[in-house]
Amino acid sequence: MNVELLAQLLVNGLISGSFYALVGLSWGLIFATTKIFHFSHAFTFAAAGYGFTLAATAGLPLPVSAGVAGLVGLGFGLTQERWLYRPLRRASASQLNIFLASLGFLFAGQSLLQIVFGPSARRLPGFTEIGVSLGPVAFTHLDAITLAEAAGLSVLTLTVLYKSRPGRAIRGVASNPELARAVGINDDAVFSLVFAIGSLLVGLASVPYVLRNAATPTMGIGPVLGGFIGVFLGGIGSYGGMLAGGLILGLAENLGGLFLPGSWQPVIAFVLLFLMLLTRPAGLFGQATR
Amino acid sequence: MEFWVHVLNTVLIFTMLGLSLNLVLGFSGLASMAHAAFFGLGAYSAALLSSRLGWPFPIDLAAAMLITAVAAAVAALPALRVRGEYVILLTLALQMLAYGLMLSWVELTGGRTGLPGIPRPVFFGWKLVTPLDFLPLTAISAALTFLVCQRIANSPYGRVLKALREDETATLALGKNVVGFRVSIFAVSGGLAAAAGALFAHYHAFINPFSFSLDQSIFLIAIVTLGGTGNLLGTVVGASLFVGIPELLRFLHLQQDIVAPFRNLIFGLMLVAFMRFRPQGIIPEYSGLGRKGRAAGSRVSPLGNLVRAGGKNLVAMGLSKRFGGIQAVKGVDLELHPGEVVALVGPNGAGKTTIFNLLTGFLKPDSGRVYLNGEDISALPAWQRARRGLVRTFQDVRIFQRMTVLDNVLVAIPEQCGESLFNLFFRPKRVATDEVEARLLALNYLEFVGLKAETNVLAESLSYGEQKLLALARAMAVGPAVVLLDEPTAGLDPQWVTRLLELVGRLRATGCAIGLVEHNLEVLRAVADRAYFLEAGQVVAAGRPDELIKDPRLSEIYFGL
Repeated sequence: MNVELLAQLLVNGLISGSFYALVGLSWGLIFATTKIFHFSHAFTFAAAGYGFTLAATAGLPLPVSAGVAGLVGLGFGLTQERWLYRPLRRASASQLNIFLASLGFLFAGQSLLQIVFGPSARRLPGFTEIGVSLGPVAFTHLDAITLAEAAGLSVLTLTVLYKSRPGRAIRGVASNPELARAVGINDDAVFSLVFAIGSLLVGLASVPYVLRNAATPTMGIGPVLGGFIGVFLGGIGSYGGMLAGGLILGLAENLGGLFLPGSWQPVIAFVLLFLMLLTRPAGLFGQATR
Repeated sequence: MEFWVHVLNTVLIFTMLGLSLNLVLGFSGLASMAHAAFFGLGAYSAALLSSRLGWPFPIDLAAAMLITAVAAAVAALPALRVRGEYVILLTLALQMLAYGLMLSWVELTGGRTGLPGIPRPVFFGWKLVTPLDFLPLTAISAALTFLVCQRIANSPYGRVLKALREDETATLALGKNVVGFRVSIFAVSGGLAAAAGALFAHYHAFINPFSFSLDQSIFLIAIVTLGGTGNLLGTVVGASLFVGIPELLRFLHLQQDIVAPFRNLIFGLMLVAFMRFRPQGIIPEYSGLGRKGRAAGSRVSPLGNLVRAGGKNLVAMGLSKRFGGIQAVKGVDLELHPGEVVALVGPNGAGKTTIFNLLTGFLKPDSGRVYLNGEDISALPAWQRARRGLVRTFQDVRIFQRMTVLDNVLVAIPEQCGESLFNLFFRPKRVATDEVEARLLALNYLEFVGLKAETNVLAESLSYGEQKLLALARAMAVGPAVVLLDEPTAGLDPQWVTRLLELVGRLRATGCAIGLVEHNLEVLRAVADRAYFLEAGQVVAAGRPDELIKDPRLSEIYFGL
């Protein structure tokens, strides 16, 4: 076995895994609390990506443009909670129907992006990646930013969830909605809060993605699917588990490169999910609930 | 002329796709995101088998159906064992995987360029080339698909699918092998989508991956949902409107890459609007049914030969169950004998419902065993225990809301011939006679609980009391040897309580063993032969109800006096 290749693949896996972990946490936070299979999270990601591209192309400094991405994400996330999901909840729509509405919103949103910005990829002019070598492994400063952003935001989010009052309310509603309501926690407020946090996170996560790839109308599907898989690998019951699931997915996809050509990455993700559902449907860190 | 026929052919192929998806999405309530992948697997299989291996037309189509049916069932299997969102997730991953392979496995699929030169079908020397040549083929295929789907939807098998969609737990409690039904409908749905794919490949003589993308899956979901889930005509209408109209727009010589995003924008918005204002779609599943029934007033009828199984002994030994830090049930022993009514009483949280769940297999005990007539059933899943005559009702009723009252009872009748897909298509006579018998039986049960006047209304329009009676009729239709009733009288008006107690008495007279969780002491005195008193997961006393009620120690626990 080639040790240098192994080290390189581990690093690559860590980088893409941290990205999945952040996207997964941003979605899992919403899912765990609201039980909405919020597929149009992928649209929030894409909209934020375009927001970033437009801001950066207009000449704003990259950190400011990243802030714009976060705000665009937050705005679209809250809009969906308030105008898409809340009325459906009020009408006591089934889980399946809420999912179908989410799907419709994503479909419409992606088409709108395509109509307004065209189907082709929007690249950021003048951004070049700078390579860094560390012993046997090579990566770029964008890789480092991706990893640092994911790690920083994840730690921050976990801190909010476990150390702050609103964080406790979120976890309360996630683990026992009836009890949380009984002690006077307002569902709608908590739902808005998780949509705000999750959408802000996914908006920020779109930044390194756009820098690396480019903005396209359907850019959200791949990352959000990776995030979904990470969340279910880790298990819905545990936020730390969701993060771990994303890392495992990234590492597995990259280490699979030792045996399989790169185009087989989706096969690895599917097989991992398949085996996990077969053997441990509650996820690696989740507990079977009552 | 040729153009119009082409539009018609396209509509017919998408009708086949929509119908096959409706079986899964509409009738079974499973959101499959991989339908375009099944469509594509069928298309690529037929294309490769006919162009590379030279297989003649209907043979390659049959093979494509078989390949896709197996692939669909196997790939979705782990998700079908668990819950709804896992089906979304796994089929989504499958869709992305299939699309990725179509693009990247160039030696086999031709990648982006696709597969050109797919041979035209030849029938007895007649080669199908123009759209008009194809029209009889597509029309017959679509009609056949419709008939197959209709046969499935209106059968005992389809009834179980709907029950599953409405309430998986309640369906398990009726002794249905939930996973088997889900896997088989996924296979059928995948196979039919593959037939559409094979036709599509031969019709265009060329395929590339872009017809089989996630967008296509979403588009198919939109057709079915907007047309009306659970209604096959709705799908025909949906496909005609939503495939036909955009295809006609080609007539205006608009560029397709401009039309497509506008089309998708409109469908996306329509999907959102329909979910909000008309979730049942253009043609709802139940359009001709009365919704409001009058109050059930008919007299209770004699039970006659309704209950087929004799009673059985149910014995539990040392049952224990822990939830996190809470010992919900601890070392419980209990027995139920044929022809007696045994009550579990005790304060809230004493573990009564948990004991029911342990006995019926909806929870696994940490320790302890359960025996039914001496047979150790501790390792059996819930549906197999129900098959052996251990039947339960639920505290929260769990009737199948969007099914008729009659179907609620019909679905519970065990071992119906028409629950097998094979019988449905190869033994239609037996299925038909079996169904007539089942109907008579179901009507008898409904008459027994006094709901015969409501047979054709949707269960959701019944009053709460009527729903409880329906749940009892449904449990009886399983043919119980032991029946466990979880708070049968809770929340009922006194008139309904009297009615239910009368029914329980009649059920006991047939030799059935009856267990019930009950809070009402009057009810207890009136109907129970014995009672177990539980506190904090343990049996603290057992005996005749009037003795227990007199015991000052127990009334202190119960009433906090």
